[in-house]
Amino acid sequence: MKQSTLRIGLVIVAALALAIGIAACGSSNSGSDTTSASTAGTSTTGSTTASTGASTGASTTAAPSGKPGAGRPAVTLGDKNFTEQYILGQLYRQALDARGFTVRLKENIGSTEIADRALRSGQIDLYPEYIGIFNTTVAGDTKVYPTVDEAYQAGRAYAERHGFTLLPLTPFTDTDALAVLPAYARANNLTQVGDLARIRGLKLGAPPEFRQRATGLPGLRRLYGITDVQFFPLTIGLQYQALDSKRIDTADVFTTDGQLQGGRYTVLRDPRNVFGFQNLTPVVSTRVLSAEGPAFEQTLNAVSAKLTTEAMQRMNAAVSIDKQSPADVARTYLQANGLL
Amino acid sequence: MSDSGNALQFIGDHTGLLWHLTVKHLELTGAAMGIGLLIALPIGIWLGHLHRGSFLAISISNVGRALPSLALISFGVAVLGIGFLNAMVALVILAVPPMLTNAYVAIEGVDRDAVEAAKGMGMTGFEVLTRVELPLALPLIFAGIRIAVIFVISTATITSVAGGTSLGDVIVDQATYRLSGVVGASICVAALALLAQLLFTGLQRAITPRGLRVQSKRPVRLDTASVAPASTTTN
Amino acid sequence: MSAAVFAAAPVIPSFGRGSSCVTDNKLFCWSWVREHWGDTLSKALVQHIELTLIAVVIGFAISFALALAAYRWSRLAPPIGWVAAILYTIPSLALFQLLAAVSWLGLSRTSAEIALVSYTLFVLFGNILAGLREVPADVRDAAEGMGLTEWQSLWRVELPMALPTIFAGLRIATVTVVSLATVAVFIDNEGLGAPIFDALQTTFKTELIAAGALAVLLALVADGLLVIAQRLLTPWARSARS
Repeated sequence: MKQSTLRIGLVIVAALALAIGIAACGSSNSGSDTTSASTAGTSTTGSTTASTGASTGASTTAAPSGKPGAGRPAVTLGDKNFTEQYILGQLYRQALDARGFTVRLKENIGSTEIADRALRSGQIDLYPEYIGIFNTTVAGDTKVYPTVDEAYQAGRAYAERHGFTLLPLTPFTDTDALAVLPAYARANNLTQVGDLARIRGLKLGAPPEFRQRATGLPGLRRLYGITDVQFFPLTIGLQYQALDSKRIDTADVFTTDGQLQGGRYTVLRDPRNVFGFQNLTPVVSTRVLSAEGPAFEQTLNAVSAKLTTEAMQRMNAAVSIDKQSPADVARTYLQANGLL
Repeated sequence: MSDSGNALQFIGDHTGLLWHLTVKHLELTGAAMGIGLLIALPIGIWLGHLHRGSFLAISISNVGRALPSLALISFGVAVLGIGFLNAMVALVILAVPPMLTNAYVAIEGVDRDAVEAAKGMGMTGFEVLTRVELPLALPLIFAGIRIAVIFVISTATITSVAGGTSLGDVIVDQATYRLSGVVGASICVAALALLAQLLFTGLQRAITPRGLRVQSKRPVRLDTASVAPASTTTN
Repeated sequence: MSAAVFAAAPVIPSFGRGSSCVTDNKLFCWSWVREHWGDTLSKALVQHIELTLIAVVIGFAISFALALAAYRWSRLAPPIGWVAAILYTIPSLALFQLLAAVSWLGLSRTSAEIALVSYTLFVLFGNILAGLREVPADVRDAAEGMGLTEWQSLWRVELPMALPTIFAGLRIATVTVVSLATVAVFIDNEGLGAPIFDALQTTFKTELIAAGALAVLLALVADGLLVIAQRLLTPWARSARS
């Protein structure tokens, strides 16, 4: 008898513990909602800095000299969960370090969705983002822009309203793309993304978030009528191996991936521009940007200005193919371009 | 963003997806546990019966527990490729050590007097094993199985990082399913682990000879060489 | 106004080619390990040791306090055991993410440590309590008969007798944390999980094996150190081992 009452008690305790745990998660999240609301409130001061930021970026790309960052508050720079981002994190960090700024680097924080939450909650102050992904995933704006300028202006307007600043874009663009094995492309007569609509039960491998992003499955459905898809969520990087072993028919890749050099894969053209313009912009908290002074922004812009598509491809290959460390590759590049 | 509290609602809204992934999860863990049992129990029981290979049995457990699951799964990707096979092999490698070592320790540690008495009664080695050693060793053997099954069910989620299909698909995709999905899928995983515990506890009851049932409620003793992390007290 | 920044074309330097062993992704390339021991592996190893030590020390302190309470008031034992067991069944990948989503914890070492600590409780609490409860009643009676207070009996008689079981739990908890700490990489990019995840993304076998082997070695060394510590603390048990 006593045993059974005890058991019931235990079950109740267990259920309570679970409930408290769940409730705690819930309340923590409403907490971060308030954070984003309060940062939105500061956007009036943000807009002025943002516009000056863009014009200085466009007019001068020279890196400041000396140690203008000395004595400025420490900033936390985040990067997302793939090779190019690790390199970008190191590039910006080392350049800022060299100018005397104090930078904490939080590497590999996750997908855009997670990086955005970290930025809004103040865990990080800036991270490198691709303009098209910013518009679709952060701003929820799925409009297809005809030019990169228009995409950038739209993104900047959203950012200003929410207390961030998008610094000037890099020359390089790194868009998502669908790649197939050359033999598969020949066998199925594939040259552009829309051709995939003919394939029944298309096995498509991509990072998990591709499932719901406008630049992912929903976009492929909307712009190319690709509906019959079997989706394989894969950690970024594994899609090449999945392609090689023919577990999937087509893989979501990044156009600057080192693996694409050498012609081992066929990248399908994207005439409807579902993957958008993906030049890179450092997304910075506007409050932090003004606290760090103009040299902070100038340093970041000077790095961005040197990031061409070829440079990015070569750096990615140096890390993913030649297994150099992102820090070494970034240092070599900055030194060669007088940014250290 | 205020979505993490809605785990139960997530479960309600995504029963089809969760059911599909639960079945996949069970296929993966079931295969791994089945193969793991077939490898671990015969070897552990046989070595224990012969009182040989203690170094092997104990080392396997120590090294096995030290193997980082993430590294193992990642290594499988490099060697076996992406998918079910890699995920299953990794889980088998993780499941074998606790079961093997517990089986060894359980049989090896059976009271020598009982074994001698059985031999004195004219039992063959095989009869001693099946009629004396195994019944007495059941609690500890099952403790090992229960440790392994919790471990395998929980670790199967990590295989989703490397192309395995499991409830981990939801857990690694916070971008799509939000925190409510992460919590919801975790509840499913925990429920599976709990069910598996009940299943093996029931199985143990069913095959324990009546005369030994009271004994099986005792906590497992952990001596220095041992190995059994979980004691039966927690079930 | 232009969206992009333009400057003189950049200089693209040589970044150095990987050896053919590395670019062909052979099973194991010593040259890479030698070159990247300093910038990748040793750093990760030190971080991993820190992650593990902090989790085990805090986990032990909490479990010890809870186990003493449960030993003294036995009604407390089942609920504490249940909560610890429930925590233990939450998939690590999920627990790390849930903690990281708590706004004041975030993607930090603190979140990682809280999850790691919660995984130690099940084994440590269970074993400390089991060790204490295994002390034979007549030993306790004898201590009482010698005039020891309850507290004195606990510290001088019961706890020392429980040490072997406590150490067994400590060994299991430590090894488990070493392994689980690699999964923490999804919220806190440090420790041996970082090179392991990195190698997963590039399916780079050498880095996987090197980082995985370091984790196994670390676990075995920690385990060995605990065995030595136990022998030093329980000299009377040395001859009595089965």
